[in-house]
Amino acid sequence: MTVTAQAVRRDAVKAPRRRGGGIAPPWLFAVPALLIYVLVVLYPAFSGAGSAFTDWSGVGAQRSFVGLDNFQQLFHDDQALGALRNTLLLTVAIVVVQNGIGLLLALGVHTGIKSRMVLRVIFFAPVVVSPVMVSFLWKYVYNPAPDAGLNAALGAIGLGGLRQDWLGNPSIALWSVAFTVIWQCAGYSMVIFLAGLEGVPAELHESAMVDGAGTVARFRHITWPLLAPAVTINLMLSTVGGLTLFTQIIAMTNGGPGYATDTLSTVLYKQAFVFGKFGYSTAVALVLAIFVAAVSFIQIGYLRSRETAA
Amino acid sequence: MRKYKPRTFVLEVVMVAVAIAFLFPVYALVTLAFKDPGQIANKPLSLPDPPSVGSFGEAWQSASLGSALLNSTLITVSSVLVLIVLGSLAAYFLARTATRLSYTLYILFLVGIILPFQLGMIPLYQMVNDLGLLGTYQGMILFYTGIQLPFTVFLYTGFIRSLPADYTNAALIDGASHLQAFAHVIFPLLRPITGTVLILNAVHIWNDFFTPLLYLGGSGRETVPVRVFAFVNEYTSNYGLVAAGLVLAALPILLLFLVLQRYVIRGFASGLKG
Amino acid sequence: MALDRSVSRRRLLQLAGGATLAGALAACGGGNGSSSSGGPLKVIGAGSQEAGLRKALDDYKKAHSDFDFNLSFSPADQLQTALRAQLAAGNAPDLHAVYPGNGSAMSMVQLSKANLLTDLSSQSWTQKIPTGFKGAFQNDGKTFIFSPGTSVLGAIYNKKAFATAGVDVPTTWSELLSVCDKLKKKGIVPIALGAQTPWVTQLIDYALVPGTVYAKTPDFDDKMTAGTASFADSGWADAMDKYLELQKKGFFNDNPNGTTYEQATSMVGTGKAAMAVQVSAVLQAFRAASPTPDDLGMFPFPATDVAADNWIPGGVVVGIAASAKSKKAEEAKKFIEYCGQPEVVNAWAEAVACVPLYSDGDAKVDPVLKPFLPYLKDNKAVPFMDQRWPNAEVQPTHFAVVQELLGGKSTVPAALKKMDEAYRKSA
Repeated sequence: MTVTAQAVRRDAVKAPRRRGGGIAPPWLFAVPALLIYVLVVLYPAFSGAGSAFTDWSGVGAQRSFVGLDNFQQLFHDDQALGALRNTLLLTVAIVVVQNGIGLLLALGVHTGIKSRMVLRVIFFAPVVVSPVMVSFLWKYVYNPAPDAGLNAALGAIGLGGLRQDWLGNPSIALWSVAFTVIWQCAGYSMVIFLAGLEGVPAELHESAMVDGAGTVARFRHITWPLLAPAVTINLMLSTVGGLTLFTQIIAMTNGGPGYATDTLSTVLYKQAFVFGKFGYSTAVALVLAIFVAAVSFIQIGYLRSRETAA
Repeated sequence: MRKYKPRTFVLEVVMVAVAIAFLFPVYALVTLAFKDPGQIANKPLSLPDPPSVGSFGEAWQSASLGSALLNSTLITVSSVLVLIVLGSLAAYFLARTATRLSYTLYILFLVGIILPFQLGMIPLYQMVNDLGLLGTYQGMILFYTGIQLPFTVFLYTGFIRSLPADYTNAALIDGASHLQAFAHVIFPLLRPITGTVLILNAVHIWNDFFTPLLYLGGSGRETVPVRVFAFVNEYTSNYGLVAAGLVLAALPILLLFLVLQRYVIRGFASGLKG
Repeated sequence: MALDRSVSRRRLLQLAGGATLAGALAACGGGNGSSSSGGPLKVIGAGSQEAGLRKALDDYKKAHSDFDFNLSFSPADQLQTALRAQLAAGNAPDLHAVYPGNGSAMSMVQLSKANLLTDLSSQSWTQKIPTGFKGAFQNDGKTFIFSPGTSVLGAIYNKKAFATAGVDVPTTWSELLSVCDKLKKKGIVPIALGAQTPWVTQLIDYALVPGTVYAKTPDFDDKMTAGTASFADSGWADAMDKYLELQKKGFFNDNPNGTTYEQATSMVGTGKAAMAVQVSAVLQAFRAASPTPDDLGMFPFPATDVAADNWIPGGVVVGIAASAKSKKAEEAKKFIEYCGQPEVVNAWAEAVACVPLYSDGDAKVDPVLKPFLPYLKDNKAVPFMDQRWPNAEVQPTHFAVVQELLGGKSTVPAALKKMDEAYRKSA
């Protein structure tokens, strides 16, 4: 005990660079976390990334260095380029619609309505359920038969003409998948917007009302600028989520029909486990990682500057 | 501002209507689970009449949900505990040391948030196998601890930086060791963010699908999503049974959410205020 | 990814969902607990072969008191992911399922090229493999897998539905069209197609190309290998045109791309649809979906109007191989040698409704398969096409382009061009 205390005091003397005037804790505190992190994440990722420059099939010992071949192939691969296009479309749809709906829901329940607490719970509930199960639920909802799921509901309310083969029609399938994700995650956007709304002082609204500002004007000039941090978080989360979406696609369409719902994530999975091209798959994964990182940094930079401007 | 006006009533009606539409898939699933095959064929969207509960028992048995729930609980609880201990300790060092080393380490941890896990999938699998941890709880706990550490460290570091340092200094000068000071003074102060860490990690780990499929498939220690996946694929055309299985599998986490809704929603809402 | 992989998918899932995943390899395996000779042999089988493989293992165990095994089945997705990851990690089971020939990442050629399979050539049964099937078992002249026999592909049909419409089994393409027409007029879906399930998409093409391609060009595969033929300039175009003709005439159920294999199966079982083009190995699934299983029959699906040209697709079913990395390779090889005995082959084949690889006398064959036997005897059976494809990419490409065609998003020449491109990629 005494020894420790002495050691601590020595540390305290020796540690002039510290934050907030505190005594720096020993670096040993970070060691267990660092070890596990390096072991489970960093080392495998870097040794895996190495195979992006090989023709390894994923099994066996045979592999040879092929330089940038995999990356060159990637940019001439119609399937990968189609998947890139789908990834972007899906991400844009999810980011725009999910956050739009999330914001409307937040504004709706951030009022004096009596059901507001119950509604929050209802809209948020899908967030805690496994994406696999939500996908299976929607796979049933999207049953193409006219007397089942969504099609039956459309028929029941006199909109039978809108019945679709939701997951089987290549022109619709991608949007059906996007809608499932939006249904599951809109509640997440909602609670983040709600947290932002709760930070908007009521007095601001009251004085604006006295000045005769309408609902829309108050939203535009008071609420929206103060929501900036919530917008940043929501856009970030939904963008990364959209770019890396995997489980829902595999569970609902497996990338089909044809290639209509293949994304970078499903392509890299299929390359590794179905086509036996692990090297190429890793190249796709690297490109996806760089893509996600770049988009995140650009977004953070832009949105943060917008926050400070506001 | 919160006065209940006619406009508020209109809004209330609109919002409730939206909620009803939102719940339609859930209604379709739950009613399906209570119907026998004849009812499903004839009246797909009606209420079950009479409700039959036979599917639930069969689904529970066929998907072996009981043991799956135990597996999921064990893996989730252990991983989250390890994450909280290791993550908060590391973050305490990173947040309270302004050296180049600590800054580099912090950035190193952040890299882990954007690395797609597929990159290290096969090498990691080989390593888990070499360690003899394939198909074990320990293997999964190690995996989740590593994968979720970056995010956990990120949350804790941000929070600790916003705390005044005076408390620990006082404790240390009173002769406590760093570990004691951390355990008795700092950690209790971290309660709000620990709640967030717990909830976000627990929901993620509980619901994860691909890794347990890869690591636990065939081991007898499969988690709920893996069992449900196999179960649904097996009985695809038996809608009632599949629906009952999905309802049962989703129920535990939904009930827990209802009990702890306030904390869960707060946890998610504050999750990424970096 | 031989056809049988696809077949096995459902059975695998069936098994995996219930008892197997449930826990217990023990509950599923014939024996468990460690024997004195270093633990039981670890076996991962393909679900479609379960009945036969289990019987062989059980019988072998009865005869060898020191033998013990631990048998499990995993869903096809896991056969792709889990087994592949195990192979990659050098953690393969001692005996495991392998698809015959080439054409998938889990096929005999691909795995033997990676030195992951034990050479079985020294075993005497390998001498009895019929010449036409050698490509399914052998790579570079060495035998790497054991398989109990062949399954055939044709139309599984509901006799009651045919009787309702007053039609007989068709023997030419034109007859088939008129049968479909009559069925449709009676309000019965002529052909159930569950093309949302990827492997189902290929079946109609597979049923047609023996007639449109191989009857005229029996060495089509060799020409493809040599680069002197292509899908686009072959009878494949004819087959795909016919596939789409069936769709255009309204002979499939609505929304085939949104319908699953299971839904299609139950449509035929209940008589809502009259037939489905399928492999014989799934007969049991159709019987299970029918209130009157005896009403189900099977006939060769006619591809052309020249009856003599209507060859059938028939291929070696998914087999087993001994892992080259196994510490119990000797034990595994001995078991395979046991499987190669004619009576074991026969028993196994009977259990899984396939035609035995060879037999000493009269083999017992599911009576439903009778119409196919003359074709097998006359060498008019063509192995499932993918078994000769050079890499694992052609077959998934085939799945995808058929879905695109059914969805109206592609044309036959564009689809075949994609398949040719996939074919020309390196292995």
